[in-house]
Amino acid sequence: MTVDTTSILRIRKPQRRLGGRVLRSPAAMLSLVWLVGLVLASLTSPLWLRYGPLEQDLSAVLQGPSWAHLLGTDELGRDLLSRIVTAAAPTLLIAVITPIVAVLVTVPITLWAARYARAEGFVNRLSEIVLSLPGTVIILAFIAAVGTNMPLVMIAFGLLLFGALYRVFFGQAKSLHQQLYVEAAAVDGVKPMTASMCHVLPNMSTTVIVQFVLLFGAAIGLQAGLAFIGLGPQPPEPTWGGMVQTASKFIFQQPWMMIPTGGVLALTIIAANSLADVLAGGSAMPPSLVSLKRRKTPADAAATAPESGTPSASTGRAQAAASAGDVPADADGALVVQDLVIGVDDGPELVSGVSLRVGRGRVLGLVGESGCGKSVTSYAMLGLLAPGLSVRSGRILWNGTDLVRADEKTLQRVRGHEIAFISQEPTRALDPMFTVGWQLAASVKRLRGVGGREARRIALQLLTDVGIVDPPRVLTSYPHQISGGMAQRVAIALALSGRPKLLIADEPTTALDVTVQAEILGLLRGLIAERDMSIILVTHDLGVVADLCDDVSVMYAGQIVESGAVRDVLVRPEHPYTMALLAADPHAILDFEGTTRLASIPGQVPLPGSWTSGCRFAQRCRFASDECTAAIPLQPRVQGDGGVRCIRRDDVRGRQEEWRRPVAVGGER
Amino acid sequence: MLFFVLKRIAWAILTLLIASWIAFVLVHLSGSTPGGVALGQSATREQVIAYNESVGWYAPWLQQYFAWVGQVLQGNLGVSLIDGRPIGPDIAKRLPVTAALAVLGTLVSAVIGITMGVVAAVRGGAIDRGITAFSGILLSLPAFWVGVLLVYVFAVQLRLLPATGFVPFAVDPQAWARSLVLPVLTIAITSAAGLARQTRASMGEALTQEHMRTLRAVGTPTWRIVYIHALRGASLPILASVAIQFIILFGGSVIIEVLFALPGIGQAMQSAVGSADLPFVQALVLVATLVVVVVNLALEFLNRVLDPKLRAS
Amino acid sequence: MSTVEPVVTSPDAAATPLLEVRNLSIRYGRKGPLAVDDVSFTIGRGETLGLIGESGSGKTTIGRAILGLVPVTSGRIIFEGRDITRLSAADRRTLQGDLRAVFQDPFSSLDPRKPIGDALSAPLRVAGVPRADRTFRVQAALDSVGLAPGSEERYPRQFSGGQRQRVAIARALVTDPRLVVCDEAVSALDLSTQAQVLNLLSDLRAGADLGYLFIAHDMAVVEFLAQRVVVLNRGRVVEQGETREVMRNPQAHYTRVLMAASPVPDPDEQARRRQAWQQLKASASAPVA
Repeated sequence: MTVDTTSILRIRKPQRRLGGRVLRSPAAMLSLVWLVGLVLASLTSPLWLRYGPLEQDLSAVLQGPSWAHLLGTDELGRDLLSRIVTAAAPTLLIAVITPIVAVLVTVPITLWAARYARAEGFVNRLSEIVLSLPGTVIILAFIAAVGTNMPLVMIAFGLLLFGALYRVFFGQAKSLHQQLYVEAAAVDGVKPMTASMCHVLPNMSTTVIVQFVLLFGAAIGLQAGLAFIGLGPQPPEPTWGGMVQTASKFIFQQPWMMIPTGGVLALTIIAANSLADVLAGGSAMPPSLVSLKRRKTPADAAATAPESGTPSASTGRAQAAASAGDVPADADGALVVQDLVIGVDDGPELVSGVSLRVGRGRVLGLVGESGCGKSVTSYAMLGLLAPGLSVRSGRILWNGTDLVRADEKTLQRVRGHEIAFISQEPTRALDPMFTVGWQLAASVKRLRGVGGREARRIALQLLTDVGIVDPPRVLTSYPHQISGGMAQRVAIALALSGRPKLLIADEPTTALDVTVQAEILGLLRGLIAERDMSIILVTHDLGVVADLCDDVSVMYAGQIVESGAVRDVLVRPEHPYTMALLAADPHAILDFEGTTRLASIPGQVPLPGSWTSGCRFAQRCRFASDECTAAIPLQPRVQGDGGVRCIRRDDVRGRQEEWRRPVAVGGER
Repeated sequence: MLFFVLKRIAWAILTLLIASWIAFVLVHLSGSTPGGVALGQSATREQVIAYNESVGWYAPWLQQYFAWVGQVLQGNLGVSLIDGRPIGPDIAKRLPVTAALAVLGTLVSAVIGITMGVVAAVRGGAIDRGITAFSGILLSLPAFWVGVLLVYVFAVQLRLLPATGFVPFAVDPQAWARSLVLPVLTIAITSAAGLARQTRASMGEALTQEHMRTLRAVGTPTWRIVYIHALRGASLPILASVAIQFIILFGGSVIIEVLFALPGIGQAMQSAVGSADLPFVQALVLVATLVVVVVNLALEFLNRVLDPKLRAS
Repeated sequence: MSTVEPVVTSPDAAATPLLEVRNLSIRYGRKGPLAVDDVSFTIGRGETLGLIGESGSGKTTIGRAILGLVPVTSGRIIFEGRDITRLSAADRRTLQGDLRAVFQDPFSSLDPRKPIGDALSAPLRVAGVPRADRTFRVQAALDSVGLAPGSEERYPRQFSGGQRQRVAIARALVTDPRLVVCDEAVSALDLSTQAQVLNLLSDLRAGADLGYLFIAHDMAVVEFLAQRVVVLNRGRVVEQGETREVMRNPQAHYTRVLMAASPVPDPDEQARRRQAWQQLKASASAPVA
């Protein structure tokens, strides 16, 4: 439900069309020029070559490169350049047959199999059988039957590739067929095959083209290999593989011959493969979820931050706080976040100057819509920011330590032992390859320093504590064998394995059904009471906040816009955004009698990088006026403790219901 | 589970039948006849026909095919048309050569490839780009060219190793090892790159899984995250690639065997095809398919053991 | 619930319900468990029926069966007096866009490679609407959901989640349908955009002869939009009736649990709900005589 920060990182790299990718990549352009140039040079060779490919000169055998023979000569004094260039066009043009046959056969069968479940079973079996045929041996047997007729051999090779190619295509075709837009086409009444052609094939085209180019390279390699073992076109016709074979025979007399003959072959296959790489969108890997490298000293990063940060008041205060070096006296057992600024490296800011305080045994809700920075803030507290994101300034104080500036060793001492974390999707939060018991025991062993048997006993106890009915069975289960609610209980047990004092819960119930959500919220409530734990609960659900939290901070576009005790914020909101959220929440309306509208906040949450220096909500706010363009700090709220970031808060207080009236502020953008 | 085993074995047998049928048809479609090959050019047409009739060449195809299958089931792969020797023992003698090449080649390239892939995925940045570019080039180099270059450097120039030839293990283990160094090195150089790419991709994907954050949050050290959790998560696709590598080497190291004059299956295939030794071709296709089928079966059972989702179902 | 009803023979359109689902059962695979077990309900003309349930309740399957996307095991689906239970793809085209859908995920319900105008005109093309007419109707549909003129030439990636869901609604409405199946149409949206889309759906049916089958897991959302509601649990109907009646005075235990478990953003009211939920839980675990 929430936008992941990694997806923000990906948005920054717009996908280019295939043509654009090739044009922008020097490697791809070079490869294309090499392949096309080779064919053109070869086809026009009679016009410009000084020697014919079969022209012998027995007075100049086995020569190295010279002005007369640029690439030297072979054992019969034939010019190597002439032979290499002459052989190029037939090699490349015949090699194209293989990918053409393979794609023409495989693509329609794949589309058919992906659409009809019955066809799928049959075609899967067929592809398995084709895949089990020993390719090289069958090709050789084929040559035994039809002779060294290269176009026919290339056709046979193309057919044999069906099995492998089908595996590559089928997964994608299947998942494309399951896309909602293919179903939507069915609802539109579009014929199934038309839908496959219009919606599935175009979206597969990149994969098809990439495989085409890869198979082209493979076909060139096969031709050369066959020629090398004497099963290619027969001499004296020049072939690349045959020339390498000759060169290998005369390697004692003239090793040079190896270089141009094999080199041109290698370069051609390299060209095809690198072209395929670029077409496939480069080899860029998505960044790993957690940083695996040693942290750069965060203090350095923080020191340079104020220049790159937004010129908000918060950064100024962050500097002041940092230089003063004061740790609040009541910090014992509390987590204090001061003016935290988080940004994408060389990119926009995601969180600008967030301050929070969670006292011992308290539950703080961090609430907001997708992309407001609430999850990123929670990751930062345990040094769990994904690579590419970093804290630019601010402090996270825990028991007198600043976790922002702490080294990896200190963080490792805090993680699990003092502060634990549970995440959004319980079934994906556990490693699918290991049993629940193994994962739990491994973590207990490390965090409590106990032996294997004791760890298993504790694991069993923890599962009982989180309300699992049949702990021995769950211990031996794999994560995919248990339900979402059970998995979240296991994840909580895992978080408890180090007896932490603070639990950071990132949307712990979002992926669960409401009845299961109620159970998990009940469990968390019990844990706070029994274990004197504090919780930071990140959520978008105001109802969950009302259920569990003591205090709440409302985030919007990387800032806290309102904070305070739950009853103050949810019942007597002072910020227009909080009011709007409450008025937009159908759950807030307890009786629909007479209510026909929800508050409609026009427009959408501004993306990081497009934030203004004034109030970030002003563009969507029905109460906005000219004064809202000025920067505004968090000011004390009128009722209760906490803060509000609104310059007009005295004018707007109590006008919550106005949000339900239709209005066009800022308009649809 | 028993049902699964039986089903898989039935499929394996079907695959063997189909592959051998293809080989049978190809052999019969070729212009050669047993008589023509066995008796050579000096034989008269009548002699050739008489020979063909004696081996049942003119019988209906299905009848011939099943006669051949019957012979195979009794352990008789026929005799070579060229030298008249029984094919079975010949192949049995060649198998250890190819097997040694395939096993050693797969092991060495797996160690190199997986290491490269893990380093690329974990270190990222310039190291990743370097390894990826390098493996892209290695992937494209023709094996026979690399092999000849290696021979030139290590055998011709440095005189460290024998250029070609093979010494059986039983005769002289040390010479055996020396005779395999260059072929295995050639295989490793050209096959490790593909495994490196697969490993890098699978590891990269494993490292973006949600549970990595959970692991880090309970204070799991980096080495455990990388080598226990991520590598375990990536193990299935990597293993599949290693198996494919093995299959390719076992069934298709023709070029390496010819280049280094190793008397294995591939070399036999090349000479059988070159001399149109029809029963030999047919037998070799059967043996190669058998290897593929057995490796695939082994892989499938291994997957069942390694993948908790498959194991449970 | 499953009393035998006489087959509708009356040609009188006003008396015929818009949609009638009779004893619908759906099984996945040949031997799988029943995903939908003997479900019956009707939707009147211009009526909004809410179909509510948790994961595994079969609610989405019912919607997909009505749209012809999953095969029906037994039972009948009757749309405007016509049995559409096992319509062939070709016959389904004869519905001429009277039965349409809005799906859950606004990101995958539009083909990333096609401008959204294509998606909107596809059903009109199938229905044989002339080209000039198509352009006009596509623009009118986009206008009705509040998207700027010229939007039809833009690609899905140029729209935000909420806007894409507007596009999806425009696509459903472009053929001027009688019934739109909304499958979790707002559950992937944030609160503020969700409210926009709910208001839009509510505005669009005002004054039009348009019915919705509104499938959702969220009580409050259904309560906002639907006149009548069907509560599902594990493929079976546990309760159905006027939304207001069901909400105020739920009869089935499951409905009560569902309502009590759904949190509200008011700490005091939520405390009451929590207590109610705990009592319900206690009564469920106590042995029932």
